[in-house]
Formats: sequence, structure tokens, C-alpha cells
Amino acid sequence: MLRRLLVPLVALLSLRLCPGTHGSELPKPPEVWFKAEFFQHFLCWLPISNQSESTYYEVQLDWYGRSPWESLPHCSQAPELCCDVTMYTLHLYRSNGYRAKVRTVDGSRFSNWTLANTRFSVDDVTLKVDSVKLEMHEGFIFGMIQLPRPQVAPPGDTYESIFTHFRQYEIAIRRVPESFKSSQMVDHENFTLPIPGEVGKFCVKVKPSIGSRTNKGIWSEEQCIALTKQYFTMTNLSIFFALILLLCGPLAYCLVLHLYVRRRGTLPTALVFKKPSPSILISKPPYPEMQDIIHPLHVQTFLKVSPEHLNLHGSMNSGFGSAKPSLQMEEPHFFLPTPHPQACSALGKGKPPDLQGSCSDGGSSGGSSSSSSSSSTDSGICLQEPSLNPGSGPPWKQKAGSTSQGQDDSGISFVRNSEGQPGSTQDSSLLGHINLLGPEAPAEEDPDTVTFQGYLKQTRCTEEKTAIAACLEEDTPLTDGLCPQFRTCLDPEAGWPPPALAKGYLKQDPSGITLAPAGVPPEQCNQLNEEWPLLGLTIFGNLGPSDWNFAHDLDPQDCMAAPEGLLGSFDSDLVTQPQISNLYSSE
Amino acid sequence: MINLRANSAQDMKAQCVSLWLLGTTLVLCSVHTTAFRRCPVPVDMHLLEESFQEIKRTVQTKDTFQNITILSPVETLRSIKPVDVCCVTKNLLEFYMDRVFKDHQELKPQILRKISGIANTFLYMQKTLQQCQVQRRCHCSEEATNATRTVHDNYEQLEIPSAAIKSLGELDVFLAWIDRNRQETSAA
Repeated sequence: MLRRLLVPLVALLSLRLCPGTHGSELPKPPEVWFKAEFFQHFLCWLPISNQSESTYYEVQLDWYGRSPWESLPHCSQAPELCCDVTMYTLHLYRSNGYRAKVRTVDGSRFSNWTLANTRFSVDDVTLKVDSVKLEMHEGFIFGMIQLPRPQVAPPGDTYESIFTHFRQYEIAIRRVPESFKSSQMVDHENFTLPIPGEVGKFCVKVKPSIGSRTNKGIWSEEQCIALTKQYFTMTNLSIFFALILLLCGPLAYCLVLHLYVRRRGTLPTALVFKKPSPSILISKPPYPEMQDIIHPLHVQTFLKVSPEHLNLHGSMNSGFGSAKPSLQMEEPHFFLPTPHPQACSALGKGKPPDLQGSCSDGGSSGGSSSSSSSSSTDSGICLQEPSLNPGSGPPWKQKAGSTSQGQDDSGISFVRNSEGQPGSTQDSSLLGHINLLGPEAPAEEDPDTVTFQGYLKQTRCTEEKTAIAACLEEDTPLTDGLCPQFRTCLDPEAGWPPPALAKGYLKQDPSGITLAPAGVPPEQCNQLNEEWPLLGLTIFGNLGPSDWNFAHDLDPQDCMAAPEGLLGSFDSDLVTQPQISNLYSSE
Repeated sequence: MINLRANSAQDMKAQCVSLWLLGTTLVLCSVHTTAFRRCPVPVDMHLLEESFQEIKRTVQTKDTFQNITILSPVETLRSIKPVDVCCVTKNLLEFYMDRVFKDHQELKPQILRKISGIANTFLYMQKTLQQCQVQRRCHCSEEATNATRTVHDNYEQLEIPSAAIKSLGELDVFLAWIDRNRQETSAA
């Protein structure tokens, strides 16, 4: 009985002990999957439950969409349950993926194939950085992420080229011995972590990711760095040097400025004033306070002037300061011939006492002005202001009083015609009155007045102003006087703009005319013409060269002719023309 | 002397031809880049990727025809020119919306929810591309048309359920191709 049951039992046992004998009995691996990092691809599977020493697993790989399946023999011989399939999946990042399958083999038995759960694609790659380098600069941690550079990667397949956009990195930092508490995301491989004012040891780790993908990432290894206080940092050094520059800069600037300012500048050559040569007729008056160089006239020219002519001194002032002592010389410098008694008397009426006195004093004494010469630059001609005597002008007189006040008349002052206003007709009949207006006065508006276009602004005291004003009030008929009355009455109250200082005197033509007043002896006339060559030319205003010739052509003896004729030879307009435009021509 | 003149004339002609070619090349390149950036499609690729990853295991596991592919026969999508990207994208969106999503019968609600999310995103993209087509900014060349026809032919070779599940399984291929074109467009 037992012998008949033994054979079926043996057959039954053989079937149970050898399930894979026919390929379908050997269990297949329960699960197969891929796991991969950047160019580190592995295929893993679960073993069967009851495997023997002869059991092994067969692996095949398929490039999705291509045929046939490719066996991986090295995976069959591996005792582990994972097989490196990197070299067979190098095109993973440039293709649609791979499929893999695994089966159990035991001897001659094979199991069914177990396919990988999903197609092996780029999405299955876990991202990881190679390392991170840390540096410390001025309290900041500068990090540089080192991306993986696998050697098995095909040429051109780098982390940056495969994942071109949306690369992100999560940075975690902790202070030893503390744990990681926070992290931050950066978009670049280089990052900066501010740690102001802290010292100690800090550790950093990095986890990569791709913004447009679902790839997982893993943390890198910690990289630690020790932060210490640095005093000699770039920031501190730069601040230090900046402070030094801020402190030394103003000092250097002040020093340079001081040196530069102390250095006396030299006048340019064009402005260098030369000393007057001795040959100049006009000698320089010894007035220290005057800046203008005044060339005084030679004394000898006027030594022969008779005292009788002193009264005309002031009225014949051709360009010297008005109301001032004329010259500092004792002798009167130049005088006109004695005017007509009537005219002179008319002139004398109403003369400002100061003006008369000054001028007469100057004329009489001849040297009274010298005492006051120190304070006056008037070289000898005393002019009357027109405001004082618009109609007639007192004779030219030195004004010692005015000079004593230290007025600085450095040039020419002229009589205004009437109350300082041009165009007055009061002097139209006064041939001898040459009213010289200020520079702003339009000469064409008053042909009867002499307008000087280069008048010096004369600063004078109030007394003189009063005297000058009185001078303008007088009116001397020109024809009766037969003597040119040269007067300037300055109107301090006139609304003239301050005229510029004249730089010198009128050019005196030695051969100029001599307007001899009526009653002047011929001898005196000739003397006047000879000794006072300066006089004649000062009369005429805007006389041009031709006019000068006209003036030059006048014979000194003509002054002995009928005054009317002499006077008639002159154009009244010429007489009243502003005369001093030629003052500077020869200068 | 006559030879010199002839040589100079030939040189001039050669220069003119070279200049003409250069100008044509530049114009074509500009047109190319212009066409590439003609119809940008704003889409959240990360959301699409996440949705697919959640259904990838399920749908790909069900794919039993491992040796057949629908979207990537001989690197079909990789051979598409940039000027045809707009047309091919529009056609494939229509393919998924009109055939794949309708043919697939999903029983699991979690998978169905994810597939619905993907479909809604595709619908938004499809409307944007249709506007570009109306404005004549999405021209379809013959190559683009041929590529679309190949996809349809591959789909028809399988049974509908298998084809649909395979097409769902190859969504990652389609999404990767869209993302790559979008990055290139933004970089241009």
C-alpha cells in the first residue's frame, strides 16, 4: 500500500519544490524602480521571498519608443538589488526616457518580467549640488555653489545646460552648536548671507531645485566657517582714508589760498603806468592823494602873467579843476586878458564869495594856492560851475578854500551852461562863455554851450557847491566882454551821472589862437599869444583838425583886430561847441 | 583694360549677391525669432508637472505596449522647427482635448481630478493659441501638419483604451516639449 502511494507523493513534492522550472513558477520581483541623481542612475528591485543561492535577476532596458530591449549582464551578476544603469541611460536628459524590466532566474527557471513602475525620465532625477564654498568679507558670508560635474556625462551635458532656466537653491545656515532654523531661496550659484556684528562658527547647506519641474532635491553636506571681528577691513580703511582727506583737504586748501593770496600780483604790462618824463609841460602836482597823474604846466609859461589878468584866471580854465586853486605855483599859471570892465563887473556881480575869493586870491597872490596845494590837485585853472552862474561866469579864480578841504580834482571840470542843464540859451550871447557840460549831456541839444564829454567828477564840499551855484546865476553878455569867458559852473544837483575822471589836461597848441579880449593891449595880446599858447586851443569844443587849422591860422595880431571881427571870425557854434573832445586826442 | 573692367564688374556683382544673401539671412532670422515669439502662451508648468506626477505611476503602469509610442516616434517633437511650434502646440492640445481625455475612462476619483485639472489648463492654452491663429500669428506649415498627422496615426494603431492610456502616460513628453519651447522663447 505504501509502495503505491510513494510514487505520487514524490511527484507531488517535486512539483512544489521546483516552481520555476517552467518559467512561470519562479516568482518575479515584486517591484522595480529607478532612482537617480545627476548622471548617477540606478535600477532597483525587490527580491523574491525564497531565493536561493543560485537565484539571480535579469535586467533589461529599453529606450522608450525604440526597440529592442537591451540586457544588462552586469546587473545579473551583482549581488545587490540595485544596478547602475548610468552608462546605458546617458541620453536620459535628451530623450523621452527609458523603460526597464527585471525577472528572477534560478537555474533554468525564469520568472515573469516585472516592469518598472514608471518610465524613467528626467523627472525622476534627484537634484544635488556637489559642494559649497564659503568666504567671509566684512561680516558677510559669500557662498559659491559648486554644481556636479560627472565625468560620465556626454560632452555638453552640464547641469546648467540641461536645466537652463529656473534654477533655485535653498540655503540653510546655522550657528554652531545651534540647529538649522531658517533658510532662504536664491536664484544664483553665488549668494551672500549678511551676518552683521556676529562672531562664531556658522555652517551652511544647500538644496537645489528647478522652478518649472517637480524634481526633488537633497541637501548638500554642511560647510562651516568661523567669523571673527575684523578691524582692518576695507570698509574701515576706506572710512579712515576718507576722514583723512576730509581733514587735510581744507587745510591744504587754506594753505594754498594763503600762499596765493599773500603773493602780490603784478599788474599787467598794459596797465603799468610810466613815470612822467620831465619834458612834459604839465608838471605833476604834488598831491599825494590823487591817483591820476597830473602833468603840471611849466611855470615859466606863466611867469609873465600880469596880476591884471588874474581875474581872468578862473574863467580861462581850460581843463583844470574848478573851484580849486589852480596851480601850486606861486605865480599864476595862466590868465586871460582883462575882460571888459562892464563884463567883468557883471561877472563880478553875484559871484560867490568863495569862488571869487578863491580865484582872486589865487590870482592876486599867485601863490596862495601853494599852501593848499597839498590837498588839491588842481593845477591852476579854476572853473566856475554853471549851476552857480548860468548866465555869466565869474572869472577863473583859484579857490584856496576849496582846496583846503582836500578835494581831489584830478582833471578837468567845466562850466555848465545854465543850472546844469544843457541847451540853455542864456549863454548864447556870451561868446566867451564856454559851458562844458558833463559827459551825459547831449551836446547837440545846446549848441550855445560847450559840452565837455570827458568831465571829471569833482567832489567838492558844500560851500563850494554853494559858490558854484551862485556862479551859475550870473550872466555875462559875451559880446560886451569881448573876452572869452571860460567858466565852468558845476551843478552838483544836476542829475548828471558821475562823469569819469579826466586823465590830464587839454592839449595846448603852442601856436593856437589867442582870443584877446577887448581892451587888451596888443603887446599884452602878443604876450598872451606867446606866453599862453595853451589858452587859445582850449576854447573850442568839437573842433576838428580843420578847425584847429583854422585856429592855428589865426594870427596873434588878429586879437588886436576888432573884437567883433575876431569874434565874428569864429563861428558862435564853434565857440559853444564842446571843446574838450580834443583833450585826449593828443594825449 | 577690358579685362579689368570685366573683373571689376564681376566683383561688384559678387558683392551685391553676397550682400543680398546676407540681408536675406538677417531678414529670415528676424522673421524666425519674431515668429517664435509671436504667440507666447502663459502657463504654470509647475502645476502641470505636479498634476502629472500624481497620475504618472497609475497611467504608465497600465501601459502594456512598451514598444509603441504615440508622441515620440523618431523624436518627432524634437524635430519641430521653432516657426511651427505654435501650430504643433495648438494641434496637440486639440488632440488631447478632443480625443485622449474623452477616450480615457478613469475610475479612480483622485486620478480623474488630476486629469481634469490638466484638461482645464489645456483648455486655457488652447484659447490663447486660437486667438493667435485668428490674428495670423500661428501659421501651420506642411511639416507641422505632417507631424500632427503622425501622432494621430500612431494613436489609431492601438485600441482606443490602450491608446488613450498611453497618450496620458506620454503627457510628460508633451509637457517637457512645451516647457522647453517656452524657455527658449523667453530667452529670445
